[in-house]
Amino acid sequence: MIRTRRDVLRAIAAGLTAACAPGCRADPARDADGRTVASLWFSYGGKNREVLLDLVRRFHETQGHYRIEAVYQGDYFEGLAKLRTAMYAGAAPAVTHVVAEVVPYLAEANVLEPLARFPGASDLGLVRAIAQEGSYTNGDAHPLVALPFNRSTPIAYYNRAIFESKRLAPPATWDELRETARALTERDASGTSRWGFEVPIDWWFWAALVAQAGGEVASEHGAPTLGGDAGVRALAFLQTLVATDRVMRPPPGRDYNAWQATNTDFLAGRAAMIWTSTAFLRYLEDNAKFPVGAAPLPRDVRAGVPTGGTFFVMPRGAPPAAQEAAWAFLRFMMAPEQANAWATRTGYLPVSEVGLNQLEMAGYYDAHPNDRVAVAQLADASPWPWAPDLFRIQREIVQPRLEEAVLEGEDPARALAAARAAAREP
Amino acid sequence: MTPRRAFHPYLALAPTLLLLALFFLYPLALVLRESFYAWDLVTPERFVGLANYHALARGGALLGIVGRTLGYGVVVVALSMALGLMLALALDRPGRLYAFVRGAVFSAYVVSWVAVALLWTWLLDGDAGLVGAALRRLGVGGAGVLSDPKTALWALALVSVWKITGYAMVVFLAGLQDVPRSLHEAAALDGAGPLRRFWHVTWPMLRPSAAFVGTTSLILSFQAFDVVRVMTQGGPVNSTTIFVYAIYEEVFMNLRVGRASALAVVFFGCLLVLTGLQLWAYRLGNAKANEKGKRA
Repeated sequence: MIRTRRDVLRAIAAGLTAACAPGCRADPARDADGRTVASLWFSYGGKNREVLLDLVRRFHETQGHYRIEAVYQGDYFEGLAKLRTAMYAGAAPAVTHVVAEVVPYLAEANVLEPLARFPGASDLGLVRAIAQEGSYTNGDAHPLVALPFNRSTPIAYYNRAIFESKRLAPPATWDELRETARALTERDASGTSRWGFEVPIDWWFWAALVAQAGGEVASEHGAPTLGGDAGVRALAFLQTLVATDRVMRPPPGRDYNAWQATNTDFLAGRAAMIWTSTAFLRYLEDNAKFPVGAAPLPRDVRAGVPTGGTFFVMPRGAPPAAQEAAWAFLRFMMAPEQANAWATRTGYLPVSEVGLNQLEMAGYYDAHPNDRVAVAQLADASPWPWAPDLFRIQREIVQPRLEEAVLEGEDPARALAAARAAAREP
Repeated sequence: MTPRRAFHPYLALAPTLLLLALFFLYPLALVLRESFYAWDLVTPERFVGLANYHALARGGALLGIVGRTLGYGVVVVALSMALGLMLALALDRPGRLYAFVRGAVFSAYVVSWVAVALLWTWLLDGDAGLVGAALRRLGVGGAGVLSDPKTALWALALVSVWKITGYAMVVFLAGLQDVPRSLHEAAALDGAGPLRRFWHVTWPMLRPSAAFVGTTSLILSFQAFDVVRVMTQGGPVNSTTIFVYAIYEEVFMNLRVGRASALAVVFFGCLLVLTGLQLWAYRLGNAKANEKGKRA
């Protein structure tokens, strides 16, 4: 019989212990069916999340040993912040995915599991230009730590209905882009009712312009040259479109908010032509009330695009069993069938060489010419330097200065010189 | 009441003190320490002395953040108090219609910041938004008030005012219930008009409410984060990077724990000074009021 307060406390403590016991004793790395569990942190919303979760489901149906627990962690930036915090706390997931520019930073910080030791790592048959070896300058000189997941290039999307009514073709050069955007822009008494062109004021698209103007954002060894004269020319081109020609709307918001705003304007018919990632191909096609056209980005002195999107990585520190499960999942995702399912249902690039050939042979790209654009652009893709500071230069130093130049009319040469100076500071 | 043992008061305070120490003092000490280190959570930390503070001071980044935060705070506090007071005076009367309007004004305060921010992002959109398009017709914010570095911060401030005015109104309404009718009647008999009655009867009685609203809205405005995160993400061109968002951006976007900590330390200092000033002003006001009372 309970008489005193002490007895009550004792009873509660005993109850808690009893309640916890079964859960505490069970092996946290196994689920009720005895499958080894590994956690996957991902950064997708909408359509892409659906497709990923569907592939995870398919993984569970095709084998009985492993279970992947997929957990949404916010957009790429939020996901990275949580990943670092979890790494510090010793609670990192067995597998996750990070943007290309972050891979060298994490690899050099020695927090990623080298993948070469896992069975079959050397013969995954990946598309070179978007695998680690081709995505970075001398990418194969570094230990394999990243497998391509959702890789992309920027492409141009256009409202086919408007283009046809105006008898316009997608622009193939910068000059044509200016002319086309001017022809597409419509103004009325209250302002601009339709913008000819829209692209987020973002490092990625500026990097594309730099490549087209004949420059590189960084030297081979990772020193931030920011394109030199080509960088200035690229930035001045954006200024011309926004301030001089007034044919381009700088979308509100920053980071992925600006990307979303660009998509929304395109879908609502407020922008007739946009640049964004090939990742949104299916999403834009499915949600537009008009036929969507895709085209390669125009050239200045040459054609050029960066690659984008993310790589799968395995943070160090997960138990070996979980790593084994994660690796099984990665192999599954790299296989032609899954790589193609992912690519054709989202718009990302197929990562498997065999898979890509299968799509070509089956006539997929003839039936879906929009999907071919990004694949064809890989021939003009420039690799990123293997530079640990790259993402910091991008986000902290270059990004605000691009905004400054485009939105406040800061001199592009001065803005980029200031960025180079800031990049040299620790 | 005298405690039975000298340590009893401390014993009673211990739980609160423990919580404060654990969740406030200890993190504060940790932040102070981190502000002298460079650390990204991933690679080992390095002692860098005052380099984080130097980096913040260099190029006027810190000054910009302090200036923006103060500007935002002043606009939010001044406007929400003025509007709240006006609404309280206008709506302090019986009747269903007035009750409904009071409820409507206060409802904005109850809605979550994220919902309010999303709603206003749409309303302020330069092309499709109701308010944004109207503003553009008036010649404000060429490509949308949120895309223009000159207007974005003020747009955020006005959204915050819209949201918290209901709160100021309710506190002032409560304050108004404490003003005795007899005072108003006496003043009216003496021939005081509505303006003089407000200035000599209502306002002195509302001073404690005003001090309370002022302090709490200042704290609220200095803690603004959600509205920036949802509406502008600190842009365009850092024009809406106010204190808490700047700290968030340094640690979670730029992966600079040291610099974020240095910012937090400066922020703490700023708040300390402001609180000191406010206390001083409040005490000064009380002392003056007491003097007046004695003379009368």
